[in-house]
This record gives sequence, structure tokens and C-alpha cells, in this order.
Amino acid sequence: MVDRMFVDFGRWLAGTSWSTGLHESFYMFNWLESTHVLTLMLSLGMLFIIDLRMVGLAFKNTPASQLASRLDMPMNIGFGIMIVTGILLFTAIPDRYTQSVWFRLKLILLVLAFINALVFRRHMNASVSTWDKDPVPPKRTRIAGATSLALWTLIVICGRFIAYDWYDCGKTENSDFINWAAGCTAEQMSP
Amino acid sequence: MTVEPFFIWLEASPLGVFMKDKPATFASVEAVHLLALALLGGAVLATDLRLLGVTMRDVSIATVAEGTYKWFKYALIVLLVTGFMMLAGVATKCYGNPYYWTKMIALAIGIVFAVAIKQPLLRREPEKLSAWTLRLVGVASFSLWFLVAASGRWIGFSG
Repeated sequence: MVDRMFVDFGRWLAGTSWSTGLHESFYMFNWLESTHVLTLMLSLGMLFIIDLRMVGLAFKNTPASQLASRLDMPMNIGFGIMIVTGILLFTAIPDRYTQSVWFRLKLILLVLAFINALVFRRHMNASVSTWDKDPVPPKRTRIAGATSLALWTLIVICGRFIAYDWYDCGKTENSDFINWAAGCTAEQMSP
Repeated sequence: MTVEPFFIWLEASPLGVFMKDKPATFASVEAVHLLALALLGGAVLATDLRLLGVTMRDVSIATVAEGTYKWFKYALIVLLVTGFMMLAGVATKCYGNPYYWTKMIALAIGIVFAVAIKQPLLRREPEKLSAWTLRLVGVASFSLWFLVAASGRWIGFSG
């Protein structure tokens, strides 16, 4: 039933003139997608530097909280652009994305990354005075940093794989798990 | 004398065959390329934003430049390796694509600028340099790498 809802929503949105226009444009869609990918250099770039500090591999002589608070602003501006371009990209081919295992996985991972960041930042604000100047932070911090790096690596991989049709609904070689994960409806699975 | 024979040879080589064999191979190599792109972007931007006085003003330029240079180099190596692998999969197409050559030229200039101009300059008493010199270096650096990334992306649209 939820699958039907996603499919219906995706198809409805895909039928709007906004979506069709964006989908059929050459320049608009490509500029949007290029901005989304290139802004990775800003958002993920800053995040990588911060996380590398948190795992004790970079900027070891700079206090961790100082590095984080200085780079937060450019990072968050980058993420703002990623979210806006991401949503706009979604509206271009929504019927494809709602049933893409890679897109679904990417969203789940994004939520996990966000939760990890929130939990870590709260912990950092409470405890940082004890380890701020340590070149290698304590274990809990290193785990949070490594988790962040791992999650974002998977997010980028999923993002890249969305473009491929390997697991699209309707493919006869799809396993039951894939069909379930993608929310394929009965009509799509039996052509 | 052209380099076209090299491109033809590369695409037919075992590496070229490997990269063409399954779509997942090329896609995975490209995903690693993107991750390294993010790291290079972070390393370059952290320094360039510092040079422009936008961020980390309470950390010395020398510290920022030194701290990011190592990661810039690691990222660049991964980018060059994955880039070469991807090239092998589509070599003859790239040979005929002007955006590919734009990227290669910008890449060469970018590497020379970073290694031979920016890093030596910032390692040696950057406080003595005028604010405008520092800003110019920051803008030049960021512009070059943006051009590399943007023309790289456009290769994908123009193949």
C-alpha cells in the first residue's frame, strides 16, 4: 500500500509541467546536476577536513573545536546548496527516484549521517575542553569521525549509482529482496 | 605526430577491456574519483578561503597551508589513478572530446600552480605578502580547480 502511494506520488509529480520541463531541458537539468556534484567539493570537502581532525589525522596542532566551528559555516552553506539542488533534481524524474533502491538507500544514509553528526556535536560541546588540544582525540570522538567518513563514502557511491538502471522495477533478473526494497508494484513485476 | 595511437592502444589494453567489461566497474571507479574530488576540494578550499580571509582567520596561513597540503597530494594521486582508469575505458571518445583536453590542460596548470607557486609561497613567511597577493593566489587556485572539475563533469554530458 505504501508502495502504491510512492508510485502514485512519483507519477503525479512526473506529470506536472514543472517536472516535464526540467526533465526535457538540456541545460537546466545538467547545470543543476553539475552544481550538485561540484558543491560536494565545498560541503563534503569541509566535512572531510573536520572528520580527519576528529580521527586525529589532520591539523593535529589546531584545537578540534576551533577547526570545527571555523569550517562549519562554509560546510553548511555547501549542504544548503546540496539539499536545494537535490530536491530540484528529484522533481525532474520523481517516478524513477521514488523506486530507486540507490536513492532510497542514499536518503536513509543521509538521515543516519545527520543523526551521527547531531549526537557527536552534542557530545563534543559537552566534553571538548578535556580533549580539544589533544592531537589524537579520545576513542568515542574517533569512532564518530570514522562513522561519518564511512557513511558519507556510501552516500556518494549510492548517489552515483542512482543513474544506472541495474535494479529498476520490471527487470526480470531482480531478486525478491530488490523488488521489495525498491517498492515495485505487482503490475511492474509481471509485464 | 599525434598522441592518438596511445589512446587507441590504451582502450584496447587489458585495463581498457577491464574498465569496459561491466558497467559497475566504471561506476565504482568513478565513485572513488568523486570522493577524492571532495577531499581535494576540501583541502584546496580550506586554504583558499583562508587566503581570502573568509574563514579560520585565527589560524595562521602557514598552518592551514601545511595541514591541507598532505591531503591535497593524497587526493590528487587517487584522482590521477582513477582518472587514468576511466580514461582507459573510453579513451578514443575522450581523444575527440574538446572538454577532455580542456580538463587536461587545466589540470596540468593546476598541479604546476599548486606545487611550484602556491605551496612554496605560503610556506615561506606568508605574513610578509600583501593581502592582495594572498587573495589573488586564493582566487587563482580555486578557479583552476573549479575549471578542472566543471570541464570534467561536462565530459560526461558531451560524450
